[in-house]
Amino acid sequence: MNDFSQTIWLVPLYALLGAGLAIPWSPGIVRQTGPRPSGYLNILMTLIALIHSLFALKEIWHQPAKYLSFQWLQVTDLSISFDIEISVITVSALIVIAGLNLIAQIYAIGYMEMDWGWARFYSLLALFEAGISTLVLCNSLFFSYVVLEILTLGTYLLIGLWFNQSLVVTGARDAFLTKRVGDLILLMGVVALLPLAGTWNYVELAQWAANTTISPSVATLLCLALIAGPLGKCAQFPLHLWLDEAMEGPMPATILRNTIVVSTGAWVLIKLQPVLALSSVATNFMIVVGAVTALGASLIAIAQIDIKRSLSYSVSAYMGLVFIAVGTQQDATALKLLFTYAIAMSLLVTSVGGVVLNNITQNLTQYGGLWSRRPISGLCYLVGATSLVAFPPLGCFWTLTEMADNLWDTHPWLVGVLIIVNGLTAFSLTREFCLIFGGKPKPMTVRSPEGLWALVLPMTFLMGFALHVPILLSQWDLLPGWNELNLSVAIPLVVATLVGGSASAFIYLNEQIAKPIKLKPKAVQDFFAYDLYTEKFYRVTIVFVVGIISQLVYWCDRYLVDGIINFFGLATIFGGESLRYNTSGQTQFYFLSIVLGLGLFIAAICFPFIAQISF
Amino acid sequence: MLSFILWLPVIGAVVVSILPKSESARLRQITTIFAIATFITTILLLTQFDLSNSGWQFKEYLPWVKPIGLSYSLAVDGLSMPLLILNSLLTIIAIYSIGENVERPRLYYSLLLLINTGVTGALIAQNLLLFVIFYELELIPFYLMIAIWGGEKRGYAATKFLLYTAVSGLLILAAFLGIGFLNGAASFDYNIITTQGLSLKTQLILLTVLLIGFGIKIPLVPLHTWLPDAYTEASPAVTILLGGILAKLGTYGLIRFGLQLFPDVWSIVAPGLAVIGTISVLYGALSAIAQKDIKRMVAYSSIGHMGYILVAVAAGTRLSILGAVAQMIGHGLILALLFHLVGIVERKVGTRDLDVLNGLMNPIRGLPLTSALLITAGMASAGIPGLVGFVAEFIIFQGSFSTFPIPTLLCITASGLTAVYFVILLNRTCFGKLDNKQAYYPQVLRSETIPAFVLTVIIFFLGIQPNWLLRWIEPTTDLLAIDVAQTEQIATSLNIEHLHSVDRSN
Repeated sequence: MNDFSQTIWLVPLYALLGAGLAIPWSPGIVRQTGPRPSGYLNILMTLIALIHSLFALKEIWHQPAKYLSFQWLQVTDLSISFDIEISVITVSALIVIAGLNLIAQIYAIGYMEMDWGWARFYSLLALFEAGISTLVLCNSLFFSYVVLEILTLGTYLLIGLWFNQSLVVTGARDAFLTKRVGDLILLMGVVALLPLAGTWNYVELAQWAANTTISPSVATLLCLALIAGPLGKCAQFPLHLWLDEAMEGPMPATILRNTIVVSTGAWVLIKLQPVLALSSVATNFMIVVGAVTALGASLIAIAQIDIKRSLSYSVSAYMGLVFIAVGTQQDATALKLLFTYAIAMSLLVTSVGGVVLNNITQNLTQYGGLWSRRPISGLCYLVGATSLVAFPPLGCFWTLTEMADNLWDTHPWLVGVLIIVNGLTAFSLTREFCLIFGGKPKPMTVRSPEGLWALVLPMTFLMGFALHVPILLSQWDLLPGWNELNLSVAIPLVVATLVGGSASAFIYLNEQIAKPIKLKPKAVQDFFAYDLYTEKFYRVTIVFVVGIISQLVYWCDRYLVDGIINFFGLATIFGGESLRYNTSGQTQFYFLSIVLGLGLFIAAICFPFIAQISF
Repeated sequence: MLSFILWLPVIGAVVVSILPKSESARLRQITTIFAIATFITTILLLTQFDLSNSGWQFKEYLPWVKPIGLSYSLAVDGLSMPLLILNSLLTIIAIYSIGENVERPRLYYSLLLLINTGVTGALIAQNLLLFVIFYELELIPFYLMIAIWGGEKRGYAATKFLLYTAVSGLLILAAFLGIGFLNGAASFDYNIITTQGLSLKTQLILLTVLLIGFGIKIPLVPLHTWLPDAYTEASPAVTILLGGILAKLGTYGLIRFGLQLFPDVWSIVAPGLAVIGTISVLYGALSAIAQKDIKRMVAYSSIGHMGYILVAVAAGTRLSILGAVAQMIGHGLILALLFHLVGIVERKVGTRDLDVLNGLMNPIRGLPLTSALLITAGMASAGIPGLVGFVAEFIIFQGSFSTFPIPTLLCITASGLTAVYFVILLNRTCFGKLDNKQAYYPQVLRSETIPAFVLTVIIFFLGIQPNWLLRWIEPTTDLLAIDVAQTEQIATSLNIEHLHSVDRSN
């Protein structure tokens, strides 16, 4: 009996159905009930998807991967089929996706309580769930691209949910365009790959990559194009700005975005890893981009005063680590890192979300003294933070150590990067904790009780789950024993966590040190606070160039192309046109055109003679 | 059957024009009935369309003016069939994309039906001269419709349109006559006419004339300047027909007469065409970014999207030609939807200026449904997967890549620029804050939203299930490209030598 796993393709369809069912509650169609039923329907659909995936996982536990294929398009010499991989990894990923989605949706009941855009919001969340589930299941690069592109559109709409705020509008625009740049370069790779490999199926691509003899320069170009899509999705330098601006969107969407949406890029990257290994330039590129992003973003995170933005840079930093992992061929570690990271980050976002909601500010400098008022949120934040950094025995400690262990022999300098990023992230997370929960209450935080059950329940549930992650990992035989641990990397990592955390706690809990902290020189602080001036960089380069060129082209169009044509012979007609727009103007014109036509006609007829004479 | 489809709208036009000058709503109903009857007949034709037959079907033949080789012969194949359906569908949409109280309704509705006949005739004609007759015939209703029901600068736009397209028609006529007379053919029927036997140089010149003729219609940069004016000044209904189907006659002609009649020299002009196509794509997209008027923006986007078709036809592989025809249909649908929605926005809000429009997504005072559909249309045009535009463009990219890699990559880049101007458009019109005190817009009627919904559903459906579109086209385009593939080999080995020998002999 393999009913559940054979019908696993239903899982994305549940969500899609939910998205469709929510439409009647969008403004103007169903009015009597208010928009809430759309949300409940979607929660139900996600629950069904979750249960289905759980049963399916039970069926295929300890079984080899199975493959399904549906023909989508068959024309001339192009055949595109929708391939599905049913394996323990993909179905587990489905469970994580449906689970986190369920949490985000329940969270939204509380967070979006007063919002009128429920139908739109829930159907977009469902679209994301459907898209990411499809991405996880599908075993074809083509459909991975398709899903990434649809998710780009979804991001645009979801960030733009509160579309009457100007920052939201620009944020949505930038997210869409930045991701689209990545997607289109990926499309170039997808188009170019088919004539070379003859397939888009990941399994076949891996076989092809093992045997191919394409030239290194072609391989490099191809691999760089393929990396571009994930680069944008994972918010890596230089396409990282969108994630920061995306923080203008609603918090429940951020739970998904900071965890599984950014992971979509990493997932595709992991799937493509055999192909990417064809080019050493491409793998080195991945490692360098990952390292630069991880270091840069974790520094920027410390300089932010917006809590959501600060977290978003930690997201970029961890995605950078995933890039490093894939660049050094550690697929399994990368997947594990994604899992432990997603749980920890979602816990952090949920605990911060409640704080943002009833303090009506995201500004870290306006927080303070919430520990006494919201101990549950505080605890959850602490568990989330310790799960995210190397803090034994929680989730990311194991994955970070494993990754460092693997890097130890081949790329020792990357272990250094890992340790520094871990220390900086610990510093940043502790800073946020101290600023929010430590110190004395400030005007904005005087009245700040714990939120509605819909906010607290998902948060505490996630906390429990995060605490159990190590147990789960050991149940699945994914953990090394304590005695197999490589202490020469584990100890520095833990020390970095402790040093980063305690240094931060010392600075931010110490009443003697004036806040906000001012670095000297100020330029350094501004450099990170303004996100390495990336926005300015974009504005003076790509935005400027496209703007100028389009103005130039349009100017040419108006004054050169159109102008010349208006000038040559036709000027008289148009000149007279405006004065006497009547039949006589047309007669004139017809006469001209007939003469012209006759001339051409004669030229065509006499061509043989002319040809003999002139040539 | 074909004659019925061809003449039914004419009967409709006559009926509408002799009816007493009653209310325009009544006339609109009658026009709709005729348009729907035509559409249904076309669908019936489709159900009888034989997929295994890649050649001409439903042939009709009547000798007409024998001495000059003109005959009344009609047929359809996989290239014209989908366009035929698009034409009759867009005619129905166009009826509903103008306000109910149109001025001079009798003339308006009969011209609308005549346009349908003109385009149908050009698509199903089996004789070069018959094609030209229909091709020229639909200019008159279009000219009148722009000139009478157009915007502020309608006179200028209409004259410019007529001037350009008439020159286009004359060039095409000249080329056709050249082919016929130089060959000494007794008739201009498609099955008799051929360019074999003409010297390569003659062929090249005839093809160039033909390309300029159709290039004006498509339009290609730098022959495009009639388009922004005509599209912007014409009423939404006329723009839908202009952009949705009339421009497609240009690309239809490109495939039917360029590729099919001149297989020998096609490979010689193809690289040049690919470059022109790519320039059109980039030029259209970049000009669109600089626009402040949403209708004009969509008009420029159309130039860009038609450029893809040229690149694909130039590449001439089986896949790329299939993609080209799919793009004609896809772009026709998407452009019609865009212009229809822009028309609604203009009628309700009273402006097309990007700097004035704002916050139409507002659920209370704005136009939420129109905005939602506008987002869909914009994204379809920008090539987001799941919508028909993506399928067509992807097939074009995949099909052309092997022949013209650099132009194809540039085209992909341009589709990123497409996203740029549509995001500008959507951000300014749909997003943003609506001024609740100023915004008292008339309600959007159901008769206005239903056409948009129909188009949206088709765009979605064909995007998710493209086989329903491609299966009709594929047999015919396969045949077209095989010819090219064969001649390409010959062309590369023999014809270039031939060219050289011609050069030397002169």
